[in-house]
Amino acid sequence: MAQAVRELEGPGLGGVVVFAGRVRPDRTRSGRVERLDYEAHRALAVAALRELETIARRRYGAERVVLWHRLGAVPVDEVSVIAGAATGHRAAAFDAARYLIEQLKATVPIWKGERSRPSRPRRRRPVGRGGRSAG
Amino acid sequence: MSARVTVLLFATARQAAGTGRLRWPVPPAGLSARSLVRSLGERFPKLEPVMRTSRFVLNGSYLTGLARRVRPGDEFAVHPPYGGG
Repeated sequence: MAQAVRELEGPGLGGVVVFAGRVRPDRTRSGRVERLDYEAHRALAVAALRELETIARRRYGAERVVLWHRLGAVPVDEVSVIAGAATGHRAAAFDAARYLIEQLKATVPIWKGERSRPSRPRRRRPVGRGGRSAG
Repeated sequence: MSARVTVLLFATARQAAGTGRLRWPVPPAGLSARSLVRSLGERFPKLEPVMRTSRFVLNGSYLTGLARRVRPGDEFAVHPPYGGG
C-alpha cells in the first residue's frame, strides 16, 4: 500500500485513491479459506493490465496509475490486488480506481483457486458435565 | 514428428484435463477451432462443460467465433471465466 501511494505522488495530484483487495477467510464447503492460489495467462494479463491503465489515463484523466496483482499463493489477510489512480480532484480518482478494479476482475486472464483448512469438528459437550442436564 | 498445436489450459480447464499444457496432434493443413474444441472435449469429458463457458485465444488473440483455422505450431488457449482480485 505504501509503495502504491508513493507511486501515485506527483505535483498537482490532489486526488489519490488506492483500492487494496485482501484475501478473506470465507467459509467453504471444505472448511475455511486459508489462502488463494492465483494463476494467469501472463502475456495476455500483462497486456490487459497495460491497456486498462491506458484507458484510465485517457478516460478519467488519471496522471498516475497503479494496477498490480500478485500471483501464486496469497494467505488470508494479505493483499492480492491493488488498483489506484491519482488525478487533480477526488471524483475522477474514485472513478478511475473503481474502473480499474472492476475491469481487472472482468477482463484480465487471472484466476484464483481456494485452498481451505478443514473446520474442526464441533466438540459435543459430554453428558452430565456442565451445561444443561436433562430432567 | 506429427503436426501439433500447443493447447494451454487454465484454472478449471486445467483441473478438468489434469494438465495445463498439451501438444495436440492436428492434420498438416490444420483444423477449425470448433473441431479442435470438439476433439478436446471428447478426449477430456470433464473439460467439455468448462469449455462451454470459456473464451478461446489463438496465438494471443481472442476468438470471436470458432471458424478460425488452427494450424500446426499455433498456440490455442482455453480461458474459463476470469476470477482475479
